[in-house]
Amino acid sequence: MNLYKNWWKYLAILILLYTVIAGLMVPLKPGITSIGKSVFATGEEAMISVEVYNAEYGGQAPKSYIKLDQSNFIEAKSVEVGEGRTVNVTFDIPATLPGKDNTAITTLFLTDEANGTLVYPNALILQSKPTTSNRTWDIKEMPRLYKKSGFLFPYRNILIETIRNTFYHIPLWFSMFILFFGAMIMNVKYLRKRNIDDDHKASSLITAGILMGCLGLATGSIWAKNTWGAYWTTDVKLNMSAISMMIYFAYLILRSSMDDVDKRARISSAYSIFAFFTIVPLIFVIPRITDSLHPGNGGNPAFGGEDMDNTMRMVFYPAIIGFTLLGTWIASLVLRIKRLDEKVHLKMME
Amino acid sequence: MKVSTIFALVMKDLRIELRDKYAIGAILLYVVTSTFIVYKAFQSVSVMAWNVLFWIIFLFAALNALVKSFNQESKNQYLYYYQIVHPGDLIVAKIIYNILMLMLVSLILYGTMALFTINPVQSLGLFFVCITMGAIGVSTCFTFVASILSTQNNQSTMMAILSLPLIIPILLLLLNLSAGALGIVNDTGFTADLLMLAGIDLILFGLAVVIFPVVWRS
Repeated sequence: MNLYKNWWKYLAILILLYTVIAGLMVPLKPGITSIGKSVFATGEEAMISVEVYNAEYGGQAPKSYIKLDQSNFIEAKSVEVGEGRTVNVTFDIPATLPGKDNTAITTLFLTDEANGTLVYPNALILQSKPTTSNRTWDIKEMPRLYKKSGFLFPYRNILIETIRNTFYHIPLWFSMFILFFGAMIMNVKYLRKRNIDDDHKASSLITAGILMGCLGLATGSIWAKNTWGAYWTTDVKLNMSAISMMIYFAYLILRSSMDDVDKRARISSAYSIFAFFTIVPLIFVIPRITDSLHPGNGGNPAFGGEDMDNTMRMVFYPAIIGFTLLGTWIASLVLRIKRLDEKVHLKMME
Repeated sequence: MKVSTIFALVMKDLRIELRDKYAIGAILLYVVTSTFIVYKAFQSVSVMAWNVLFWIIFLFAALNALVKSFNQESKNQYLYYYQIVHPGDLIVAKIIYNILMLMLVSLILYGTMALFTINPVQSLGLFFVCITMGAIGVSTCFTFVASILSTQNNQSTMMAILSLPLIIPILLLLLNLSAGALGIVNDTGFTADLLMLAGIDLILFGLAVVIFPVVWRS
């Protein structure tokens, strides 16, 4: 038992444990799940019941604001903490809308010291109607909003708790791609040096990469069911990934169709190098120029800024390393089986 | 890499093709038959369906035509080529010859489809650019796969399994581009698609030229 030789396996276990524990245990920041009725006319009194998530208001009501744009806010007339997870908020909607449009979309804030600020974009939709009220947008500057500090993941509408899948779904794809890249390097090495072990390494890495890809597809599918509403969508990145999996399945079929070891190694290496350069545009280029539901594609914001904050990065980057190490580990086991197979084969030839 | 060698090899392929005409005849018959099936089955073809059918028929015609790229001649003949020409020249010549053949096939396909069904092409120039780029991409990809499979016995099955997934990105871009040429989408931003298609074609071409000499030893 050599501890130093296998240090990366222990590292993989530690990182994956950390990813699972931190990724699943760290709570989300408080947020708003729904607000009930949302369309109101100007001058009306708007009573909404806000469903909050992860927020604890122990009798003390938070402050609530509506934001129209950077310089037009109003404060709630009354805020009452109701039963369970609801907060009842009442606003007097001003008589006019400052812009030229007849409708305006506003953002709702709930803020207090203990829970920080809960934001609900596209909350109240206001329609301009003639009224006798003379209320105006009286707050002209951003009111003071509290921030909740601590190790918490951001709250995002629709995603809610599924945001944790970021730590599993995306690193699985990253590790698949890194494993395929490693396999490509091994194939090039084989074609230059003609050492059969390099071909074993390449095919083991591809086997592990395909496993990672299948898991990435499965986790993505479950995530899609929860957020987009279907297990399989017409999303371009999803379908391109499926195609790249098909290309590598074809690699496995190609290998199993040949018995001659050298010929198999030569042909499958050539095919695999060719395949790798075909999947680069499939996964990285085509989704970027076509509309896609994935972040970072077709005009959607990429991961960064809004979606991914620093607490998430602290789990996300280790997860990539962890899953890549796990993939390499699986590949090394497959490699050992292949080497043993070869030994048996050679024994039988004697 | 010498232009004269490549030219000589292309001419050699052309002469072989013309000597026994059954191969090119079979492809042309396939094109005409499938167009006729489309005409009888669809009654009236919409422009959208025309676009898809054109490229599908083209794809399978190319698959049938290119699978035999490397087993028209005997093994001894290839051993002879191996001694007198650089393998890079050989694959380039094959690809160029196949590009010319695919362009001919696609023009004939366009002619028969226009005759039997409808002629929806709005911008002939862009459509010919599509055909050229498509011929280059499909020819490079299929010729390469045919070359690595040349010593296999179950060639045609393996050819379909290996090359169809590889061709999908090129095919999707071609469908997009030719949709522009048929006036289905009024998209002026086809230059991005075109550049990307050219990029993929170029990368595959470069890879084929680099890898083929290493593979071609048996």
